[in-house]
Amino acid sequence: MSTTTLDTSAQTIDRFVSAFQVNHGQALNGTNASVAKRREAAIQRFQELGVPTRKQEAWKYTDIASVLDRPYTLPLGPEEADVSAADLDPYLIDDLDAHVLVLVNGRPDLSLSQLDAMPEDVTVGSLKDAGDHPAFEAHYGEYADAEDEVLTALNTAFVQDGAFIHVPEDVELEQPILLLHVNAAQDDLLMQPRHLFVVEADAKARVIGRQLSLTGARTFTNTVTEMFVGERGYLDHYVIQEEDDNASQVLSRFGYHEGDSVLSTDTFTFSGEVVRNNMTLTPDGPNCETNLYGLVIGHGSMHVDNNTLVDHVHADCVSNELYKHVLNDQSTAVFNGKVFVHRDSQRIDAYQSNDSLVLNNDAQIYTKPELEIYADDVKCSHGTTTGQLDEEAVYAMRTRGIDEATARALLTLAFAGEVLEQVTLDAISERVELAVAGKLPERFNLTGLVETASALNA
Amino acid sequence: MSTSETEYLENVANQEYEHGWRTDIESETLPEGLDENIVRYISERKDEPEWLLEWRLKAFRYFERQVEEGNYPDWAHLDYERPDFQDMRYFSAPKEKASYDSLDEVPDEILETFERLGIPLEEQKALTGVAVDAVMDSVSVATTFKKKLKEKGVIFMSFGEAAREHPEIVKKYLGRVVPYTDNLFAALNSAVFSDGSFVYVPEGVTCPMELSTYFRINDQNTGQFERTLIIAEPDSYVSYLEGCTAPMNQKHQLHAAVVELIAHEDAEIKYSTIQNWYPGTKDGEGGVYNLVTKRGICEGDRSKISWTQLETGSAVTQKYPSVILKGDESVGEFYSVAFTKGHQQADTGTKMHHIGKNTKSTIISKGISAGVSNNSYRGLVKVGKNAENARNFSQCDSLLLGDQCGAHTFPYIEIGNPSAKVEHEATTSKVGEDQMFYCHQRGLGEEEALKLIVNGFCQEILAELPMEFAVEAKELLAIELEGSVG
Repeated sequence: MSTTTLDTSAQTIDRFVSAFQVNHGQALNGTNASVAKRREAAIQRFQELGVPTRKQEAWKYTDIASVLDRPYTLPLGPEEADVSAADLDPYLIDDLDAHVLVLVNGRPDLSLSQLDAMPEDVTVGSLKDAGDHPAFEAHYGEYADAEDEVLTALNTAFVQDGAFIHVPEDVELEQPILLLHVNAAQDDLLMQPRHLFVVEADAKARVIGRQLSLTGARTFTNTVTEMFVGERGYLDHYVIQEEDDNASQVLSRFGYHEGDSVLSTDTFTFSGEVVRNNMTLTPDGPNCETNLYGLVIGHGSMHVDNNTLVDHVHADCVSNELYKHVLNDQSTAVFNGKVFVHRDSQRIDAYQSNDSLVLNNDAQIYTKPELEIYADDVKCSHGTTTGQLDEEAVYAMRTRGIDEATARALLTLAFAGEVLEQVTLDAISERVELAVAGKLPERFNLTGLVETASALNA
Repeated sequence: MSTSETEYLENVANQEYEHGWRTDIESETLPEGLDENIVRYISERKDEPEWLLEWRLKAFRYFERQVEEGNYPDWAHLDYERPDFQDMRYFSAPKEKASYDSLDEVPDEILETFERLGIPLEEQKALTGVAVDAVMDSVSVATTFKKKLKEKGVIFMSFGEAAREHPEIVKKYLGRVVPYTDNLFAALNSAVFSDGSFVYVPEGVTCPMELSTYFRINDQNTGQFERTLIIAEPDSYVSYLEGCTAPMNQKHQLHAAVVELIAHEDAEIKYSTIQNWYPGTKDGEGGVYNLVTKRGICEGDRSKISWTQLETGSAVTQKYPSVILKGDESVGEFYSVAFTKGHQQADTGTKMHHIGKNTKSTIISKGISAGVSNNSYRGLVKVGKNAENARNFSQCDSLLLGDQCGAHTFPYIEIGNPSAKVEHEATTSKVGEDQMFYCHQRGLGEEEALKLIVNGFCQEILAELPMEFAVEAKELLAIELEGSVG
């Protein structure tokens, strides 16, 4: 495979710029003029903005510069990754009857995917092959902010491939689409997948992205996902982050939706090294419903930073946001949520909540829920709490014969449960609950209990 | 929104400033501009000891470096032109004398000025139970009830006097809580501070009356840089209030004060502010830039510092009265009402830094925006690694009066100890139609109803003010609302 190793003797920015020059002809739709133009503008912008430092408000609590500064290799073409269907078998979600698109090191691999049951007019495949699709022309690059977000600019400059989903008007996809993202890298690898989901008017889709590592290689993934939902459309996007402890990532999602539509996101972070999730959702039409749910189970020295913005540019919308943290060991969680209500965006109901449960002395929490409001006829609120398990509740359970470890585990699971309740797919909520139970500290691992409960329910 | 409510809101937003007149007294002012000589001149005029001059000069050099390096604190949600530090005066004193030994020496014009502001300086006329230090431009005019306070051992005097009479205390505490390296404006203040109040409450003494300083900017184009230092020795209590007004000026005036509070074991300091600097015209011309650094330290165990503020004036306000909770079981409180209208901008809040064990802080902030103003709450709750069992409760509510204003909340929460219990909640809304309807049902007109609702919205905070000032604060708020909110 052809790769470029980033020259670590040069400054981080110069490294990428010279890699860009080498990489030039290898990009997504190299012949597509508008994509090429965006790439040129993006590398320019990347140079101007530079790598974010902790002096910048948006990166105050996450040191991304030192993560970016490692000697990664940049793959230029598709690699011959040694992944077989059998390798993936354990990671398919049981009981989830889904269309499966497998992405190896950020690129779709159709031979591993299961897309046979897909309705004919729905497109699920590689972004690389979508160049002539009218939806690509209409939506690619329209929502991702490569102007102000430096990592989005970097992704736009190096864009090669990713998932492309198009659900045409009036089509309601019954089965969800599972995007299985696997890291199968053998050495330090930097990947920049780019995804585009287009759900047209009156259409409905549910997309689940599950991120895994098959090898223990150190990786950095800089993903950009653009989402569009047309009038009265519906898109529910789950992301389950279960990469290796050596894997860092910045996942930037930009969602734009039109009147009377619903756009929901659920982000579950269970492992990784440094994980930064940027989310910008823009409901641009009346009666939109925008939901953001998140759950972080921190352990080891994980650092998870969720940075969200709900940009209310249109009147008469509702947004809900709930993020929960359970932190153990030396893990760190950052939550920076912003609700922005523009002038004349009247009659907005926006709710935002962030709750943290700290289980250990060395864990740290930084939270900053912001409201920026320029319209008066609104109902906006936010709340945030940080605390421990309620000792009285632990006591109450013990008086009923439940041992202390189990009592604490059940209460922790219940704390996370508020987010899991929002999950509409049973197979996913079970899978997530199991993951939560498994990630709890050794002393109160509840995997067995949850498995038994699931079996009883089945 | 009904027409009369809209009209009332418009009127409120356009309300003129009532303390905008200026007293014509001959004053000695320095020319515009700032250099080392100005700093030396101020120090000399105030008969300051050598060490204080040295300290000022160090601060001045630091300030110059900050300006050169462009370290301007411009991260707040505020939009205004940076003050030109060479285009203002740093000292202005009534002509004849720069300090007065007794009230008899104070010119009648100045006494009348304060009387007109409702602050009579003759003790027989004064509010009983309140000792006042009146500061006009760069000079403390008079301090009332000094004798009575002295009997108890309480020292309450202008900062200038304190530097001469109690240098050992001033030297020990000056810059302890707000070092001149804190920020550019704190450095500027440290270099050129003119006057301010000094309070020292000895061990075991409960200060027998409220202490109050009234600041008045009178001269045009003069910056006001006062410095307040309050020290409460173990087991003492003091309640202090500052008020302020300024005449209307076309040009922006800078007010860059520094306040330092030190509470030792079992001591309590209650600090209240009624800030009513000139907010500028309804078109946003002129007005005071109120860029202030206020911080207190709960040095001893079981000490307590409580900030209460009613912010109604100034074109631009940026201040975050903070508490460092160093002592075990110490308590920090912040109660604030910020009212902005016209083109006013406020970015205010607090910092609660938990260091000791079992510390507790409470933050209640109410923001009201009208006109085309912008009102932001910005606060930090930080729980250090060793701050076992820290407890914080924060509540920030915003009320929007009109559809052209903005209300924003930027709370920062940083937690390094798992035993912390921290809660934060915030809401933003307009006056509820059901609330208005309820009032109308009971025969209240638009204006009365709105006043009632706004007053209710702020009640929690106003109740924290010392009784003598709660009435004044309520009136001030009513005047601010007059003719606008229905």
